[in-house]
Amino acid sequence: MKKNSDLTAALATATPTTANTVTSAWRLKQFKEKAIEYLLATFTVMSAVLIFFIMYFVIRRALPVFQASGIGFIFRGGWDAQFMTSWQAPADQPSWIFGALPLVMGTIYTTVGALLIAIPLGLGCAIFLVEMCPSWLRVPLTTTVRLLAAIPSVIYGLVGLIVVVPVIAHTLISNQMAMNMIDIAALDGTSILAGMIVLSIMIGPIFIALSSDALRAVPRSYKEAAFALGISQWRTILKVMLPVARQGIIAGAILATGRAIGEAIALSMVSGGVASLPDFQHGLVFFLEPVRTLASAIVNNSEGMLVPTCESALFACATLLLLSSVALSVMATWVSGMVRKGVQRHV
Amino acid sequence: MFKKHWFAYAALWCSGLITILACLGIVLFLVVKGAHAISWQFLFTDPQPSMNEALSGGILTPLIGTILLTTLGIVCALPWAGATAIYLAEYAGENQFVNALRTGIDVLAGVPTIVFAIFGLAVFTLPQMAMFSTIVEGVQNAQAFGRSFLVAAITMAAMVLPFVIKSIEEAIRSVPPSYKEASYALGASKWSTISCVLLPAARAGIITGVILGIGRIAGDTAIIWLCLGGSMNMGGQQPWWMPQHWVSTLQHTGSTLTSYVYFSSPAGEGNSPGKAFGAGLVLVAIILLLNAIVSYLGRFSNIKEDQ
Repeated sequence: MKKNSDLTAALATATPTTANTVTSAWRLKQFKEKAIEYLLATFTVMSAVLIFFIMYFVIRRALPVFQASGIGFIFRGGWDAQFMTSWQAPADQPSWIFGALPLVMGTIYTTVGALLIAIPLGLGCAIFLVEMCPSWLRVPLTTTVRLLAAIPSVIYGLVGLIVVVPVIAHTLISNQMAMNMIDIAALDGTSILAGMIVLSIMIGPIFIALSSDALRAVPRSYKEAAFALGISQWRTILKVMLPVARQGIIAGAILATGRAIGEAIALSMVSGGVASLPDFQHGLVFFLEPVRTLASAIVNNSEGMLVPTCESALFACATLLLLSSVALSVMATWVSGMVRKGVQRHV
Repeated sequence: MFKKHWFAYAALWCSGLITILACLGIVLFLVVKGAHAISWQFLFTDPQPSMNEALSGGILTPLIGTILLTTLGIVCALPWAGATAIYLAEYAGENQFVNALRTGIDVLAGVPTIVFAIFGLAVFTLPQMAMFSTIVEGVQNAQAFGRSFLVAAITMAAMVLPFVIKSIEEAIRSVPPSYKEASYALGASKWSTISCVLLPAARAGIITGVILGIGRIAGDTAIIWLCLGGSMNMGGQQPWWMPQHWVSTLQHTGSTLTSYVYFSSPAGEGNSPGKAFGAGLVLVAIILLLNAIVSYLGRFSNIKEDQ
């Protein structure tokens, strides 16, 4: 009842005081309405073009490095050495050539690794949540997923650095192994593996939330039809639910990838500070080698901002991140757009 | 049925339980490690530049920095996001142009915060933007310093914009059409309907959006590290809390809880993990509190269905 009286009061204040005849007061009012609409439209356009504004500023600063290094920026290595050279170079002989291959590969390794952990686990969790979670566990589980999404990345980095990294250093790295690798990188536990584990916990909640939404959106009649045919629950999940929800799940995975690529602080804490390129030929030691990603390079090398060449190189890293995140977002929108059309067709 | 696929069922149960255990593990670990660091003295003294953990002080300025920055950030973001959300929900129709605008905002939501941070730095180091931070006077072609509370707050506002827009728009759309129709039937204009009927009816959803934005600002580190600087204390004229020094404080560097955690962790220069866990616990407590408020508001949405 209180809500209704609120509404009545609100409506009373909304009632116009002037009669709706063509008077100057009425014209003024029309003008005001139009002005407000255009003002709001201006804000909306500003929000939408902000992305182009960001692109312009970031790419403009990155341009000198891209012009000097060309496509080699992505395909050549030697980041740390070039960074030192540019940092110490005299002001009249700036060195604009950089190669970010170790950073690009570091980003790809940690992201793919995190997806390899997070997607099976997250999909399992989403199916569990939607299909077979007992009701007493549903609230704790959804709360947990939301909390994991809300915990700041620096906390993940801190816990990873204090828990995951020492565990890796003590159980997986032997002295002999460290001695063998000493020429390439110091194995102190900060590694691809630590980055993968921390990153997978960070992107898990997003993926779980989006894929459980997709599973919930599967029409109930599909499941009932499968059960009516005598198909077991597990086969129904596998052969009916997952294929129908496929596009939503893919969109979730794409968004999770975007989050993983852009994560800076947590990875700069747990995956080591060396821009070396891990080599598959080292066997399983590969996972224990330190890497640096594009995003964490911006944090770790941020003191380089004082020198124009180094600054431009960091902006070039940001450009790669920006373009890949835009591409992933557009892809996710496109895939989920197909979902919407698909659901309309089915229903 | 159960026996046949027991392995699949066990795997599903495991993945659900692992998720719960991971979250509980992180929170419990923070509590165990951080609880003993927290005391009145820890909360109410300034950080001191000392490698000795016993002498490195407390988290007063980072705590105030977090509160100041979230307030400033949300004050910048809310009018902008609110205007956009109202336009998208009430004025914009369904056409190609509006779809393009929506795509632009969606893409913005996927941009990593580190890119926002470096973008903020690129914009606010321009000499024309010197009023937001500091600049060395009298040097030819000098760049502005580009790191201050104002810079970080504006960059944060741009970062949370798409999320706040989305939740406010959803809140406005979830107001039953009968409210609007009743208002129009009484002869109210469109703007009066929005400002006096729709916005008050959607206020729980709007507050939810604001709190989500606050949570994102409080939890972000990349923008803080690049746009607010890595110093632990307020960088402006001292003492910073005097009213005549407020402008100077806003134009200078500072710290927040997230940058304090990063600085004090073994990865940063401070290297006092005990303090880092204490500050991390305070930060997580703030964020959990905000989330609790959101779910409380979600339960008491003040919209009634048509009777």
